[in-house]
Amino acid sequence: MTCEQIEKLLSLYIEDELTPEDRRAVDEHLKICPDCTSLLSFLQETTESLSDFPELEVTEDLRAKLYAIPQTRRKFSLRFNFLLKPSLQPILAAATVLMTLISFYTFHPDKAAIDKTINRQFHQGYRTIGSLYSKAESFAVSLGEHKNSILDSIKSARLFGRGEE
Amino acid sequence: MLVNTYSRRIFNLAYQFSGTREEAEDMTQEIFLKLYHALVKYDFSRNFDAWLLTLARNHLIDEYRRTKWEKKSRDDFNEYTLSADAVSGPEETVLREESKKLVWEGFNSLSNEIRMAVILRDIQGKKYDEIAEIMELPLGTVKSRVNRGRLQLAKILREKKEEANDM
Repeated sequence: MTCEQIEKLLSLYIEDELTPEDRRAVDEHLKICPDCTSLLSFLQETTESLSDFPELEVTEDLRAKLYAIPQTRRKFSLRFNFLLKPSLQPILAAATVLMTLISFYTFHPDKAAIDKTINRQFHQGYRTIGSLYSKAESFAVSLGEHKNSILDSIKSARLFGRGEE
Repeated sequence: MLVNTYSRRIFNLAYQFSGTREEAEDMTQEIFLKLYHALVKYDFSRNFDAWLLTLARNHLIDEYRRTKWEKKSRDDFNEYTLSADAVSGPEETVLREESKKLVWEGFNSLSNEIRMAVILRDIQGKKYDEIAEIMELPLGTVKSRVNRGRLQLAKILREKKEEANDM
């Protein structure tokens, strides 16, 4: 085995987790390779140092801050939780669209032109509705004139069955 | 209850990972905030410790990527040991203290994933399969990362000690 291959096995070697075959190969290599033997010794020193690192205590200040987190969350959730209800989402989405349109209209540099266009469209729409209304009225009048003849033709019509019966 | 049981563990993980007390305190608060948000999604079939450590690990590594902690220096090692009331009895030789200091400083040259694997294995004493669950990685990848991290630290230690001997 090369030094590179041995290096990959050294961690498991010091943890005694190698197969007997791999362990024998590492042992054989270490006998003839001072470089890997030195690395193994530093590796052991490294793991001993790491396992010796002390655990720090949490300060009272940090502990107090950690205890305060759920209270801060609860205050927020009591006040604003209703905003997160799924049923409110379409309303909030519509409100967002409306706000966007209003802000677009309010802050548009050519606001006067928009006003003019809206005004024109409004009047055009009003005129169209007026003409439709008058057409509907005249249609109702003409319908009234032909009312009797229409009723007669409906009565005489054979909607079901054959004509000759 | 969560604070009593887990604050020390999370704070130490954050401290070992970031290397500065200030960062570790900020990160611990952020992890607990995330924990309270994520509790509703906790799957009771999972081991809670592993689940929490996964959450902590993800947060630490994401923050590391965002803020590039590797460019920052770690707290002075003496401060670390002193503040932890570490025992410096007769068996604690100067040489051993020096090795610990060099290893502590060497952490900054490890990549985030490798550093986390080494911390979980060698400082926190987790088993390889527990680390695989926490880091959501295959067992073989975890073993390989721990080995690579240890080797990097061992080489730093050797280099620094040889430099000191040559002087």
